[in-house]
Amino acid sequence: MVKDITIYTTNTCVYCVMVKKWLGSKNISYNEVNLDVNPERAQEPVDLTGQLAVPVTVVTKADDSKEVIVGYNLAKLAPAVA
Amino acid sequence: MKQNDLVIIGAGPTALTAAIYTTREDIDTVLIEKGAIGGLIATTDWVDNYPGFVEGISGLDMADRFQKQAERFGAVIELDEVLGIKPVDKLISVSTTSGERLAKAVLIATGSDYKKLGIPGEDTYYARGVHYCATCDGAFYRGKRLVVVGGGNSAVQEALFLTKFATHIDLLVRSTLKASDVLLHELERNDKITVHLGVTTDQIIGDETRVTKVLGTDTKTNKLIEFDTDGVFVFIGLKPTAEFLRSTGIDFDSIGFIKTDENLRTSIKGVFAAGDVRSGATMQVASACGEGATAALRIREYLEGHSQQEK
Repeated sequence: MVKDITIYTTNTCVYCVMVKKWLGSKNISYNEVNLDVNPERAQEPVDLTGQLAVPVTVVTKADDSKEVIVGYNLAKLAPAVA
Repeated sequence: MKQNDLVIIGAGPTALTAAIYTTREDIDTVLIEKGAIGGLIATTDWVDNYPGFVEGISGLDMADRFQKQAERFGAVIELDEVLGIKPVDKLISVSTTSGERLAKAVLIATGSDYKKLGIPGEDTYYARGVHYCATCDGAFYRGKRLVVVGGGNSAVQEALFLTKFATHIDLLVRSTLKASDVLLHELERNDKITVHLGVTTDQIIGDETRVTKVLGTDTKTNKLIEFDTDGVFVFIGLKPTAEFLRSTGIDFDSIGFIKTDENLRTSIKGVFAAGDVRSGATMQVASACGEGATAALRIREYLEGHSQQEK
């Protein structure tokens, strides 16, 4: 059971758009942290993944465990939000 | 099992243009896209050479417009991955990660993707300093130094985009610059970019977590050159996205592009190919759209023949 989803994005990143489109097509709500609007939070996805890349999707489960997915990766995203 | 008149593999400019044409002819059309709607153009910072947009247009905006126009006429885009195709009687079976479907015709419009350098350190530091999408990952390099590899339109365009973030960019060009004159003039005016002609990119070095330098060779003097950097963006040309069709028996050229005849028909009856994935394509968004329109017209003729055979 998913409690909360947060996506780290930038304005120009098409794969961020795709993650949002895909979640939207499944009627799944999410919070967005746009790093162009909030550059002071740019280190957060780096700390979570060790990578300098967006989108980063953080799926928090009911037991507060977290699954972190880098990129537009349906093979990982679909089971994470199921 | 689901069945459509036309399944288009891909949802880039070629695919979406074809869909605009076919859906306006009431041809039941489904597009299947595993990556970004809009394809490579959606990752491009700015498109300045597509007719009709006097001031240019962002790649992301252009992709969104293509999608909306195709959907206005009834095109359906499914976010899924095609695993293979095979002829079944007079139809084509299309297998995807979510199941199988049938189509009277298939258009392969999977486009192309950026090539890798194939040098030490490239895979090790992927997404930790090595990148292939400036519009995706450039924002992580505010106030940093970068290396951009390549000398064509994409490399110069994306290097110019990255100057929004980076303090300095070393542009490593193996031979000579091949970008358009408009971009070259912009490059000349940009004091954040230093161009290094005749320099190969040999190795990417880091400190286990991040990229710290790039090693190259000056091909004239054969001297090793070190470039201190926080990241590397690679734009050294395109490769076709067609490997997943290797086992289908479809004809490829020696580089890996799909061969077609002048009517964009592949070696499998009912299967067409157009755009960047096709052998002979010119890798321009305008010509990709043109090929999409041509493919749609040829597919319409094919489907008319298909319908007559059914009667």
